[in-house]
Amino acid sequence: MIEIKEISFSRPTKEIFKGFSALVPATGSTLLTGANGSGKTTLINLIGGVLKPNAGCIIINGLDVAKLSAKEQSKIRSVAPQRRIFDLAFTVNQLLEIVSVESRAAHSPDVLEALEIDALADLKITELSIGQQQRVSVALALIQEASFYLLDEPLSAQDVNHQDRTLDLVTMIAKEHGVLVVAHNSAAFEPRFDAHISI
Amino acid sequence: MKKAIVSVFIATLMASLFVLSLRTGILHLSHSVFSLIGKHGSTDAITVWDVRFPRAVGALIIGAGLGVAGGLAQAIFRNPLAEPTLIGLSSGATLGSITVIGTGIAAYGSIVNALFAVVFAMGAASLVQLLAPNKGNGFLLTGLALSAVLTAIAGLVITISPKPGIQSLAFWNFGSLTLLNNSTVLMISPFIVIGLILAFALSPSLDGYSLGETTSHFLGINPRKLRFISIISMALLVGASVSAVGAIAFLGLLVPHIVRLLIGPAHRGMLLMSALVGATLLVLADLLARTIAQPHEIPLGLLTSLLGAPALIILLRLQRSQWVDHD
Repeated sequence: MIEIKEISFSRPTKEIFKGFSALVPATGSTLLTGANGSGKTTLINLIGGVLKPNAGCIIINGLDVAKLSAKEQSKIRSVAPQRRIFDLAFTVNQLLEIVSVESRAAHSPDVLEALEIDALADLKITELSIGQQQRVSVALALIQEASFYLLDEPLSAQDVNHQDRTLDLVTMIAKEHGVLVVAHNSAAFEPRFDAHISI
Repeated sequence: MKKAIVSVFIATLMASLFVLSLRTGILHLSHSVFSLIGKHGSTDAITVWDVRFPRAVGALIIGAGLGVAGGLAQAIFRNPLAEPTLIGLSSGATLGSITVIGTGIAAYGSIVNALFAVVFAMGAASLVQLLAPNKGNGFLLTGLALSAVLTAIAGLVITISPKPGIQSLAFWNFGSLTLLNNSTVLMISPFIVIGLILAFALSPSLDGYSLGETTSHFLGINPRKLRFISIISMALLVGASVSAVGAIAFLGLLVPHIVRLLIGPAHRGMLLMSALVGATLLVLADLLARTIAQPHEIPLGLLTSLLGAPALIILLRLQRSQWVDHD
Protein backbone atom coordinates (compact mmCIF):
# COMPACT_ATOMS: atom_id res chain seq x y z
CA MET A 1 0.00 0.00 0.00
CA ILE A 2 1.13 3.56 -0.68
CA GLU A 3 0.10 5.86 2.15
CA ILE A 4 0.25 9.57 1.43
CA LYS A 5 0.04 11.12 4.89
CA GLU A 6 -0.79 14.79 5.41
CA ILE A 7 1.76 16.04 2.92
CA SER A 8 2.42 19.68 2.15
CA PHE A 9 4.42 20.85 -0.82
CA SER A 10 4.98 24.31 -2.28
CA ARG A 11 6.58 25.67 -5.41
CA PRO A 12 8.25 29.08 -4.97
CA THR A 13 5.13 30.83 -6.26
CA LYS A 14 2.38 28.40 -5.40
CA GLU A 15 1.23 26.06 -2.65
CA ILE A 16 0.34 22.76 -4.31
CA PHE A 17 -0.48 20.42 -1.42
CA LYS A 18 -1.50 21.29 2.11
CA GLY A 19 -2.18 18.38 4.46
CA PHE A 20 -3.09 16.12 1.53
CA SER A 21 -3.71 12.43 2.25
CA ALA A 22 -4.56 9.49 0.00
CA LEU A 23 -4.11 5.74 -0.30
CA VAL A 24 -3.09 3.60 -3.26
CA PRO A 25 -4.02 -0.04 -2.58
CA ALA A 26 -1.41 -2.80 -2.96
CA THR A 27 -3.39 -4.38 -5.77
CA GLY A 28 -5.84 -2.84 -8.18
CA SER A 29 -5.80 0.11 -10.54
CA THR A 30 -6.16 3.67 -9.29
CA LEU A 31 -6.94 6.67 -11.50
CA LEU A 32 -5.40 10.02 -10.50
CA THR A 33 -7.18 13.04 -11.94
CA GLY A 34 -7.14 16.78 -11.46
CA ALA A 35 -7.23 20.04 -13.37
CA ASN A 36 -4.16 21.27 -15.27
CA GLY A 37 -1.56 22.49 -12.80
CA SER A 38 -3.28 20.86 -9.83
CA GLY A 39 -0.18 18.80 -9.02
CA LYS A 40 -0.72 15.36 -10.60
CA THR A 41 2.85 15.13 -11.89
CA THR A 42 4.13 16.69 -8.65
CA LEU A 43 2.38 13.93 -6.72
CA ILE A 44 3.99 11.26 -8.94
CA ASN A 45 7.38 12.89 -8.35
CA LEU A 46 6.74 12.99 -4.59
CA ILE A 47 5.79 9.29 -4.49
CA GLY A 48 8.71 8.58 -6.84
CA GLY A 49 11.08 10.31 -4.41
CA VAL A 50 12.39 12.95 -6.84
CA LEU A 51 10.71 15.62 -4.74
CA LYS A 52 10.43 15.62 -0.97
CA PRO A 53 7.32 16.92 0.85
CA ASN A 54 7.82 19.97 3.08
CA ALA A 55 5.70 18.23 5.70
CA GLY A 56 4.06 14.84 6.09
CA CYS A 57 5.39 11.61 4.61
CA ILE A 58 4.82 8.98 1.97
CA ILE A 59 4.98 5.36 3.08
CA ILE A 60 5.31 2.54 0.53
CA ASN A 61 5.00 -1.03 1.84
CA GLY A 62 5.64 0.34 5.34
CA LEU A 63 8.83 2.21 4.33
CA ASP A 64 9.23 6.00 4.37
CA VAL A 65 10.24 7.03 0.82
CA ALA A 66 12.33 9.93 2.13
CA LYS A 67 14.57 7.54 4.02
CA LEU A 68 15.27 5.19 1.11
CA SER A 69 18.12 5.48 -1.40
CA ALA A 70 17.34 5.86 -5.09
CA LYS A 71 18.32 2.20 -5.53
CA GLU A 72 16.01 0.98 -2.76
CA GLN A 73 13.12 3.06 -4.09
CA SER A 74 13.60 1.64 -7.59
CA LYS A 75 13.02 -1.87 -6.25
CA ILE A 76 9.54 -1.12 -4.87
CA ARG A 77 8.09 1.21 -7.51
CA SER A 78 8.58 1.88 -11.18
CA VAL A 79 7.62 5.13 -12.89
CA ALA A 80 6.75 6.15 -16.44
CA PRO A 81 7.22 9.93 -16.38
CA GLN A 82 5.03 12.19 -18.49
CA ARG A 83 7.99 13.28 -20.61
CA ARG A 84 11.08 11.22 -21.17
CA ILE A 85 14.35 12.64 -22.44
CA PHE A 86 16.04 10.63 -25.15
CA ASP A 87 19.40 12.33 -25.77
CA LEU A 88 21.03 9.43 -27.53
CA ALA A 89 19.80 7.36 -30.42
CA PHE A 90 19.40 4.06 -28.57
CA THR A 91 17.30 1.36 -30.19
CA VAL A 92 14.12 0.36 -28.37
CA ASN A 93 15.73 -2.97 -27.53
CA GLN A 94 18.78 -1.27 -26.01
CA LEU A 95 16.47 0.88 -23.87
CA LEU A 96 14.58 -2.18 -22.64
CA GLU A 97 17.91 -3.69 -21.59
CA ILE A 98 19.09 -0.47 -19.93
CA VAL A 99 16.08 -0.28 -17.58
CA SER A 100 16.04 -3.99 -16.73
CA VAL A 101 19.70 -4.76 -16.17
CA GLU A 102 19.15 -7.18 -13.29
CA SER A 103 15.78 -8.77 -14.01
CA ARG A 104 12.45 -8.26 -15.70
CA ALA A 105 8.97 -8.49 -14.25
CA ALA A 106 7.16 -11.78 -14.92
CA HIS A 107 4.47 -9.96 -16.92
CA SER A 108 7.05 -8.40 -19.30
CA PRO A 109 6.12 -10.52 -22.36
CA ASP A 110 2.48 -9.41 -21.98
CA VAL A 111 3.62 -5.77 -21.78
CA LEU A 112 5.68 -6.02 -24.95
CA GLU A 113 2.83 -7.72 -26.77
CA ALA A 114 0.03 -5.42 -25.61
CA LEU A 115 1.99 -2.26 -26.39
CA GLU A 116 3.20 -3.72 -29.72
CA ILE A 117 6.84 -3.09 -28.84
CA ASP A 118 8.29 -6.01 -30.81
CA ALA A 119 7.62 -4.24 -34.09
CA LEU A 120 9.65 -1.27 -32.83
CA ALA A 121 12.47 -3.22 -31.17
CA ASP A 122 15.23 -2.52 -33.67
CA LEU A 123 14.25 1.07 -34.43
CA LYS A 124 15.98 4.06 -32.90
CA ILE A 125 13.85 5.76 -30.26
CA THR A 126 14.58 9.15 -31.84
CA GLU A 127 12.96 8.04 -35.10
CA LEU A 128 9.63 7.07 -33.53
CA SER A 129 6.45 9.14 -33.46
CA ILE A 130 5.34 10.74 -30.18
CA GLY A 131 2.68 8.06 -29.72
CA GLN A 132 5.18 5.25 -30.31
CA GLN A 133 7.67 6.88 -27.93
CA GLN A 134 4.94 7.06 -25.30
CA ARG A 135 4.19 3.34 -25.68
CA VAL A 136 7.90 2.56 -25.33
CA SER A 137 8.08 4.82 -22.28
CA VAL A 138 5.20 2.95 -20.61
CA ALA A 139 6.77 -0.39 -21.52
CA LEU A 140 10.10 0.73 -20.01
CA ALA A 141 8.32 1.29 -16.68
CA LEU A 142 6.14 -1.82 -16.75
CA ILE A 143 8.89 -4.36 -17.51
CA GLN A 144 10.78 -3.40 -14.35
CA GLU A 145 10.20 -5.52 -11.30
CA ALA A 146 8.28 -3.57 -8.65
CA SER A 147 5.27 -3.66 -6.32
CA PHE A 148 3.81 -0.43 -7.68
CA TYR A 149 3.66 1.13 -11.11
CA LEU A 150 3.12 4.88 -11.50
CA LEU A 151 2.16 5.93 -15.02
CA ASP A 152 2.00 9.67 -15.68
CA GLU A 153 -0.30 10.35 -18.66
CA PRO A 154 0.34 7.04 -20.45
CA LEU A 155 -2.66 7.52 -22.77
CA SER A 156 -2.41 11.16 -23.89
CA ALA A 157 -0.78 10.50 -27.28
CA GLN A 158 -2.53 7.18 -28.02
CA ASP A 159 -5.35 6.47 -30.45
CA VAL A 160 -8.49 4.85 -29.05
CA ASN A 161 -7.30 1.34 -29.95
CA HIS A 162 -3.99 1.74 -28.14
CA GLN A 163 -5.65 3.44 -25.17
CA ASP A 164 -7.88 0.40 -24.91
CA ARG A 165 -4.97 -2.06 -25.10
CA THR A 166 -3.03 -0.06 -22.49
CA LEU A 167 -6.02 -0.02 -20.11
CA ASP A 168 -6.50 -3.80 -20.54
CA LEU A 169 -2.83 -4.23 -19.70
CA VAL A 170 -3.19 -2.05 -16.60
CA THR A 171 -6.16 -4.15 -15.45
CA MET A 172 -4.15 -7.33 -15.96
CA ILE A 173 -1.05 -6.07 -14.08
CA ALA A 174 -3.26 -4.61 -11.32
CA LYS A 175 -4.34 -8.14 -10.33
CA GLU A 176 -1.04 -8.54 -8.54
CA HIS A 177 0.34 -5.00 -8.29
CA GLY A 178 -0.76 -1.50 -7.42
CA VAL A 179 -1.03 0.65 -10.53
CA LEU A 180 -1.54 4.42 -10.35
CA VAL A 181 -2.46 6.08 -13.64
CA VAL A 182 -2.60 9.83 -14.27
CA ALA A 183 -5.08 10.90 -16.94
CA HIS A 184 -6.70 14.22 -17.69
CA ASN A 185 -9.49 12.84 -19.87
CA SER A 186 -10.93 11.15 -16.79
CA ALA A 187 -14.62 10.69 -17.59
CA ALA A 188 -13.94 8.23 -20.40
CA PHE A 189 -11.51 6.09 -18.42
CA GLU A 190 -12.99 6.13 -14.92
CA PRO A 191 -15.16 2.99 -15.28
CA ARG A 192 -12.03 0.98 -16.14
CA PHE A 193 -10.38 1.65 -12.74
CA ASP A 194 -10.90 0.14 -9.30
CA ALA A 195 -10.31 3.39 -7.40
CA HIS A 196 -10.08 7.11 -8.05
CA ILE A 197 -8.04 9.89 -6.46
CA SER A 198 -9.02 13.41 -7.41
CA ILE A 199 -6.85 16.39 -6.54
CA MET B 1 30.31 -8.97 -33.51
CA LYS B 2 30.76 -5.61 -35.16
CA LYS B 3 32.20 -4.30 -31.89
CA ALA B 4 34.71 -7.15 -31.72
CA ILE B 5 35.90 -6.59 -35.30
CA VAL B 6 36.21 -2.83 -34.77
CA SER B 7 38.10 -3.37 -31.49
CA VAL B 8 40.56 -5.83 -33.02
CA PHE B 9 41.12 -3.54 -35.99
CA ILE B 10 41.80 -0.48 -33.84
CA ALA B 11 43.99 -2.41 -31.40
CA THR B 12 46.09 -3.69 -34.32
CA LEU B 13 46.35 -0.19 -35.74
CA MET B 14 47.39 1.11 -32.33
CA ALA B 15 50.08 -1.54 -31.89
CA SER B 16 51.47 -0.90 -35.38
CA LEU B 17 51.59 2.85 -34.83
CA PHE B 18 53.28 2.28 -31.49
CA VAL B 19 56.08 0.23 -33.07
CA LEU B 20 56.30 2.69 -35.95
CA SER B 21 56.75 5.59 -33.55
CA LEU B 22 59.61 3.74 -31.82
CA ARG B 23 61.27 3.22 -35.23
CA THR B 24 60.71 6.66 -36.71
CA GLY B 25 62.53 9.86 -35.97
CA ILE B 26 65.41 12.12 -36.97
CA LEU B 27 67.92 9.46 -36.01
CA HIS B 28 67.71 6.42 -38.29
CA LEU B 29 68.12 3.20 -36.38
CA SER B 30 70.69 0.73 -37.66
CA HIS B 31 68.91 -2.12 -35.83
CA SER B 32 65.29 -3.17 -35.80
CA VAL B 33 63.27 -2.15 -32.75
CA PHE B 34 62.66 -5.78 -31.78
CA SER B 35 66.39 -6.59 -31.78
CA LEU B 36 66.90 -3.75 -29.27
CA ILE B 37 64.60 -5.30 -26.66
CA GLY B 38 66.63 -5.79 -23.49
CA LYS B 39 69.65 -3.89 -24.91
CA HIS B 40 71.07 -0.79 -23.21
CA GLY B 41 73.84 1.68 -23.78
CA SER B 42 74.06 1.96 -27.57
CA THR B 43 72.88 5.14 -29.31
CA ASP B 44 70.06 3.16 -30.88
CA ALA B 45 68.98 1.70 -27.54
CA ILE B 46 69.07 5.09 -25.80
CA THR B 47 67.10 6.70 -28.61
CA VAL B 48 64.45 4.01 -28.52
CA TRP B 49 64.11 3.29 -24.78
CA ASP B 50 64.85 6.70 -23.22
CA VAL B 51 63.45 9.07 -25.84
CA ARG B 52 60.89 7.44 -28.10
CA PHE B 53 59.51 4.78 -25.75
CA PRO B 54 58.32 7.17 -22.98
CA ARG B 55 56.83 9.41 -25.65
CA ALA B 56 54.92 6.60 -27.31
CA VAL B 57 53.75 5.05 -24.04
CA GLY B 58 52.87 8.53 -22.77
CA ALA B 59 50.85 9.15 -25.94
CA LEU B 60 48.98 5.86 -25.40
CA ILE B 61 47.97 6.46 -21.80
CA ILE B 62 47.31 10.19 -22.18
CA GLY B 63 45.31 9.58 -25.37
CA ALA B 64 43.29 6.86 -23.64
CA GLY B 65 42.70 9.17 -20.68
CA LEU B 66 41.62 12.16 -22.75
CA GLY B 67 39.35 10.02 -24.95
CA VAL B 68 37.59 8.59 -21.90
CA ALA B 69 37.43 12.00 -20.17
CA GLY B 70 35.71 13.37 -23.29
CA GLY B 71 33.23 10.49 -23.40
CA LEU B 72 32.50 10.90 -19.70
CA ALA B 73 32.08 14.68 -20.01
CA GLN B 74 29.59 14.30 -22.86
CA ALA B 75 27.68 11.63 -20.94
CA ILE B 76 27.58 13.37 -17.60
CA PHE B 77 26.62 16.80 -18.94
CA ARG B 78 24.38 15.18 -21.57
CA ASN B 79 25.84 17.45 -24.20
CA PRO B 80 27.72 16.47 -27.37
CA LEU B 81 29.88 19.58 -27.05
CA ALA B 82 31.12 18.95 -23.54
CA GLU B 83 34.81 18.20 -23.28
CA PRO B 84 37.51 18.78 -20.68
CA THR B 85 38.66 22.07 -22.25
CA LEU B 86 35.17 23.53 -22.40
CA ILE B 87 34.16 22.76 -18.85
CA GLY B 88 37.18 24.26 -17.12
CA LEU B 89 39.07 21.03 -16.38
CA SER B 90 42.03 21.70 -18.67
CA SER B 91 42.47 25.35 -17.78
CA GLY B 92 42.09 24.53 -14.07
CA ALA B 93 44.78 21.86 -14.40
CA THR B 94 47.04 24.24 -16.34
CA LEU B 95 46.71 26.91 -13.67
CA GLY B 96 47.38 24.36 -10.91
CA SER B 97 50.47 23.10 -12.67
CA ILE B 98 51.82 26.53 -13.49
CA THR B 99 51.18 27.84 -10.00
CA VAL B 100 53.27 25.17 -8.26
CA ILE B 101 56.05 25.37 -10.82
CA GLY B 102 55.99 29.19 -10.90
CA THR B 103 56.13 29.54 -7.14
CA GLY B 104 58.84 26.92 -6.86
CA ILE B 105 56.75 24.56 -4.70
CA ALA B 106 57.41 21.71 -7.10
CA ALA B 107 59.13 21.03 -10.40
CA TYR B 108 57.68 19.90 -13.74
CA GLY B 109 57.25 16.14 -13.76
CA SER B 110 56.93 15.84 -9.98
CA ILE B 111 54.02 14.14 -8.27
CA VAL B 112 53.15 17.34 -6.39
CA ASN B 113 52.79 19.09 -9.74
CA ALA B 114 50.36 16.42 -10.94
CA LEU B 115 48.42 16.49 -7.66
CA PHE B 116 47.96 20.25 -7.87
CA ALA B 117 46.81 19.95 -11.48
CA VAL B 118 44.21 17.33 -10.45
CA VAL B 119 42.95 19.37 -7.50
CA PHE B 120 42.73 22.58 -9.53
CA ALA B 121 40.92 20.72 -12.33
CA MET B 122 38.41 19.41 -9.83
CA GLY B 123 38.01 22.86 -8.32
CA ALA B 124 37.41 24.45 -11.72
CA ALA B 125 34.84 21.82 -12.72
CA SER B 126 33.03 22.23 -9.40
CA LEU B 127 33.05 26.00 -9.77
CA VAL B 128 31.47 25.71 -13.24
CA GLN B 129 28.76 23.45 -11.77
CA LEU B 130 28.16 25.93 -8.98
CA LEU B 131 28.04 29.04 -11.16
CA ALA B 132 26.15 27.66 -14.16
CA PRO B 133 22.51 28.78 -14.41
CA ASN B 134 21.44 25.49 -16.02
CA LYS B 135 22.84 22.25 -17.40
CA GLY B 136 22.50 23.14 -21.08
CA ASN B 137 24.13 25.97 -22.97
CA GLY B 138 24.40 28.06 -19.80
CA PHE B 139 26.64 25.38 -18.41
CA LEU B 140 28.95 25.30 -21.42
CA LEU B 141 29.11 29.10 -21.62
CA THR B 142 29.99 29.29 -17.93
CA GLY B 143 32.72 26.72 -18.53
CA LEU B 144 34.01 28.69 -21.48
CA ALA B 145 34.08 31.94 -19.50
CA LEU B 146 35.77 30.40 -16.49
CA SER B 147 38.32 28.69 -18.75
CA ALA B 148 39.19 32.04 -20.31
CA VAL B 149 39.73 33.60 -16.88
CA LEU B 150 41.85 30.69 -15.63
CA THR B 151 43.96 30.65 -18.81
CA ALA B 152 44.53 34.38 -18.47
CA ILE B 153 45.59 33.99 -14.83
CA ALA B 154 47.92 31.16 -15.88
CA GLY B 155 49.42 33.49 -18.50
CA LEU B 156 49.97 36.15 -15.83
CA VAL B 157 51.72 33.66 -13.56
CA ILE B 158 54.01 32.63 -16.42
CA THR B 159 54.78 36.26 -17.27
CA ILE B 160 55.78 37.29 -13.76
CA SER B 161 57.41 34.03 -12.65
CA PRO B 162 61.20 34.07 -12.62
CA LYS B 163 61.39 30.27 -12.74
CA PRO B 164 63.07 29.07 -15.93
CA GLY B 165 61.44 25.60 -15.72
CA ILE B 166 57.89 26.90 -16.11
CA GLN B 167 57.77 26.39 -19.91
CA SER B 168 56.18 28.75 -22.37
CA LEU B 169 52.49 29.58 -22.61
CA ALA B 170 52.53 27.84 -25.98
CA PHE B 171 53.62 24.60 -24.30
CA TRP B 172 50.67 24.69 -21.88
CA ASN B 173 48.09 25.87 -24.40
CA PHE B 174 49.01 23.70 -27.36
CA GLY B 175 50.42 20.69 -25.60
CA SER B 176 53.58 18.82 -26.46
CA LEU B 177 54.98 15.41 -25.68
CA THR B 178 58.61 16.58 -26.06
CA LEU B 179 59.32 16.67 -22.33
CA LEU B 180 58.02 13.18 -21.57
CA ASN B 181 60.60 10.87 -20.05
CA ASN B 182 60.27 7.49 -18.39
CA SER B 183 59.94 8.87 -14.87
CA THR B 184 57.22 11.37 -15.79
CA VAL B 185 55.24 8.67 -17.59
CA LEU B 186 55.61 6.38 -14.58
CA MET B 187 54.48 9.19 -12.28
CA ILE B 188 51.27 10.07 -14.19
CA SER B 189 50.30 6.44 -14.89
CA PRO B 190 48.64 5.70 -11.53
CA PHE B 191 46.51 8.86 -11.81
CA ILE B 192 45.32 7.86 -15.25
CA VAL B 193 44.78 4.21 -14.35
CA ILE B 194 42.63 5.16 -11.33
CA GLY B 195 40.73 7.70 -13.46
CA LEU B 196 40.05 5.04 -16.10
CA ILE B 197 38.93 2.46 -13.53
CA LEU B 198 36.48 4.97 -12.00
CA ALA B 199 35.13 5.85 -15.45
CA PHE B 200 34.64 2.21 -16.47
CA ALA B 201 32.98 1.47 -13.12
CA LEU B 202 30.46 4.25 -13.77
CA SER B 203 29.74 3.32 -17.36
CA PRO B 204 26.80 0.93 -16.71
CA SER B 205 24.92 3.75 -14.95
CA LEU B 206 25.58 6.28 -17.72
CA ASP B 207 23.03 4.74 -20.11
CA GLY B 208 20.23 5.16 -17.57
CA TYR B 209 21.55 8.62 -16.73
CA SER B 210 21.23 9.63 -20.40
CA LEU B 211 17.45 9.34 -19.97
CA GLY B 212 17.46 12.45 -17.80
CA GLU B 213 17.84 13.39 -14.16
CA THR B 214 14.32 12.37 -13.09
CA THR B 215 14.34 9.04 -14.92
CA SER B 216 17.78 8.20 -13.51
CA HIS B 217 16.37 8.62 -10.03
CA PHE B 218 13.38 6.43 -10.93
CA LEU B 219 15.83 3.79 -12.20
CA GLY B 220 17.74 3.82 -8.91
CA ILE B 221 20.68 5.92 -10.01
CA ASN B 222 21.80 8.80 -7.79
CA PRO B 223 22.65 11.49 -10.34
CA ARG B 224 24.56 13.71 -7.92
CA LYS B 225 26.81 10.90 -6.80
CA LEU B 226 27.38 9.90 -10.41
CA ARG B 227 28.40 13.45 -11.39
CA PHE B 228 30.66 13.77 -8.35
CA ILE B 229 32.59 10.57 -9.09
CA SER B 230 32.76 11.50 -12.79
CA ILE B 231 34.37 14.83 -11.96
CA ILE B 232 36.96 13.06 -9.81
CA SER B 233 37.66 10.65 -12.67
CA MET B 234 37.92 13.41 -15.28
CA ALA B 235 40.12 15.54 -13.01
CA LEU B 236 42.52 12.62 -12.51
CA LEU B 237 42.67 11.91 -16.25
CA VAL B 238 42.95 15.51 -17.43
CA GLY B 239 44.96 16.89 -14.49
CA ALA B 240 47.71 14.27 -14.76
CA SER B 241 47.87 14.68 -18.56
CA VAL B 242 48.01 18.46 -18.47
CA SER B 243 50.73 18.47 -15.80
CA ALA B 244 52.92 16.39 -18.12
CA VAL B 245 52.09 17.53 -21.66
CA GLY B 246 49.88 20.64 -21.43
CA ALA B 247 46.34 20.92 -22.80
CA ILE B 248 45.79 18.96 -26.00
CA ALA B 249 42.87 20.37 -27.95
CA PHE B 250 40.03 18.50 -29.62
CA LEU B 251 40.97 14.94 -28.71
CA GLY B 252 38.43 14.69 -25.89
CA LEU B 253 35.74 16.23 -28.07
CA LEU B 254 36.45 14.21 -31.19
CA VAL B 255 37.02 10.70 -29.84
CA PRO B 256 33.50 10.02 -28.45
CA HIS B 257 31.96 11.16 -31.73
CA ILE B 258 34.13 8.72 -33.68
CA VAL B 259 33.26 5.94 -31.24
CA ARG B 260 29.50 6.50 -31.37
CA LEU B 261 29.68 6.38 -35.14
CA LEU B 262 31.61 3.09 -34.97
CA ILE B 263 29.70 1.19 -32.30
CA GLY B 264 26.67 3.25 -31.24
CA PRO B 265 25.89 5.16 -28.07
CA ALA B 266 25.79 2.47 -25.31
CA HIS B 267 28.31 3.68 -22.73
CA ARG B 268 29.71 0.37 -21.52
CA GLY B 269 31.44 -0.28 -24.83
CA MET B 270 31.69 3.37 -25.66
CA LEU B 271 34.13 4.36 -22.90
CA LEU B 272 36.36 1.32 -23.47
CA MET B 273 36.45 2.06 -27.17
CA SER B 274 37.14 5.75 -26.43
CA ALA B 275 40.28 4.67 -24.57
CA LEU B 276 41.41 2.62 -27.55
CA VAL B 277 40.61 5.28 -30.17
CA GLY B 278 42.07 8.10 -28.03
CA ALA B 279 45.33 6.19 -27.55
CA THR B 280 45.57 5.39 -31.26
CA LEU B 281 44.88 8.97 -32.35
CA LEU B 282 47.39 10.52 -29.97
CA VAL B 283 50.18 8.12 -30.98
CA LEU B 284 49.36 8.94 -34.61
CA ALA B 285 49.24 12.70 -33.95
CA ASP B 286 52.56 12.65 -32.11
CA LEU B 287 54.15 10.59 -34.87
CA LEU B 288 52.96 13.12 -37.45
CA ALA B 289 53.95 16.11 -35.30
CA ARG B 290 57.55 15.00 -35.12
CA THR B 291 57.98 13.63 -38.63
CA ILE B 292 56.10 15.68 -41.24
CA ALA B 293 58.26 18.81 -40.89
CA GLN B 294 61.63 17.35 -39.94
CA PRO B 295 63.90 18.59 -38.46
CA HIS B 296 61.21 20.79 -36.90
CA GLU B 297 58.55 19.49 -34.60
CA ILE B 298 55.03 20.84 -34.98
CA PRO B 299 53.34 21.61 -31.63
CA LEU B 300 51.00 18.68 -31.03
CA GLY B 301 48.01 20.85 -30.11
CA LEU B 302 48.33 22.73 -33.41
CA LEU B 303 48.13 19.45 -35.25
CA THR B 304 45.19 18.09 -33.24
CA SER B 305 43.30 21.36 -33.85
CA LEU B 306 44.25 21.47 -37.52
CA LEU B 307 43.09 17.90 -38.16
CA GLY B 308 40.64 17.41 -35.31
CA ALA B 309 38.37 20.38 -35.90
CA PRO B 310 37.55 19.60 -39.56
CA ALA B 311 37.19 15.91 -38.67
CA LEU B 312 34.70 16.87 -35.98
CA ILE B 313 32.63 18.92 -38.41
CA ILE B 314 32.47 16.00 -40.84
CA LEU B 315 31.54 13.59 -38.06
CA LEU B 316 28.82 15.87 -36.72
CA ARG B 317 27.25 15.96 -40.16
CA LEU B 318 27.52 12.19 -40.50
CA GLN B 319 25.97 11.36 -37.17
CA ARG B 320 23.20 13.90 -36.93
CA SER B 321 20.85 11.18 -35.81
CA GLN B 322 22.96 10.16 -32.79
CA TRP B 323 22.19 13.16 -30.59
CA VAL B 324 18.82 14.82 -30.40
CA ASP B 325 18.18 18.54 -30.61
CA HIS B 326 15.65 19.51 -28.01
CA ASP B 327 14.68 22.81 -29.53
